[in-house]
Amino acid sequence: MEKISLNKLKPGDQGKIVNIFLQGASGRRLMDLGFIPGNEFTVVRNAPLVDPVELEIKDSNISIRHEEARYIEVVVNG
Amino acid sequence: MAEITVAVAGQPNSGKSTMFNLLTGARQYIANYPGVTVEKKTGYLKIGDDKGKLVDLPGTYSLSSYSIEETVARDYLLSGQADLVLNIIDASNLERSLNLTLQLLEIGLPVIVVLNMMDVVDKRKIKIDLKKLSQKLNTPVVKAVAKQAKGKTEIKAMIKEVYYNIKKYSRPEAEIIQYSPELEADLEELTAYFKADKRFTNYSARWLAVRIMAGDKHAEKLIREVS
Repeated sequence: MEKISLNKLKPGDQGKIVNIFLQGASGRRLMDLGFIPGNEFTVVRNAPLVDPVELEIKDSNISIRHEEARYIEVVVNG
Repeated sequence: MAEITVAVAGQPNSGKSTMFNLLTGARQYIANYPGVTVEKKTGYLKIGDDKGKLVDLPGTYSLSSYSIEETVARDYLLSGQADLVLNIIDASNLERSLNLTLQLLEIGLPVIVVLNMMDVVDKRKIKIDLKKLSQKLNTPVVKAVAKQAKGKTEIKAMIKEVYYNIKKYSRPEAEIIQYSPELEADLEELTAYFKADKRFTNYSARWLAVRIMAGDKHAEKLIREVS
């Protein structure tokens, strides 16, 4: 399956986290919030001015910036 | 009569402050959004003949040093002031919550896990096997619904039980979490190093080793300060 950056997805898209290419505190933080390889997610919506993007992951809704989403590699379901 | 110091730790919006108020009878302001507890607060409760001193730590997802809240919580836990930790968990969000629980266990203090918001869990028809969870974590697990004042008696009894059998509830460091064999080999080497050095006796050697392997800047700074 094709691996793409999370920031390329549209609301309604579902997929699985493959890798996180953020080093240090930001990468650590994303993992603390549930962005762990293998975890499933759904893109819920984009904020009116595009940023941030809201995701549902492990029963939580989490908003992150597209700048961070760029470094999260995913595969899309379906 | 003993004074038992209990650190109350948990992730944001786990009902930690609601639980703190229930146990101590305090009327602290609870807001329905995360991040309202920035400083630690202290309250007292009677546990039989003993006095429990509860320290409400700021809500954090983790104990790295990402934010001031995480630093405050972790510095307190490392200070050796607490006898044990009461880890409040939003049981309806168990998997994400256990990240902090494992980090608390790694610090080496006895931990009582409180599965809060069990009403939400029941409503969603989620089944949690308490016995198995307690076995896997090797630490006591108690159910509660802070909002409905449920669980207070059980928590008080467990605080007492752990405090008076502290040896039984303190885990040998290597028994807490086993990482991959490759990682364990490096961890063992580092742990031995920290253990052999008298300057680090105040800290869990295993904890220091794990944090260094995780590239934790705060732990690196701590080591530089001590050395």
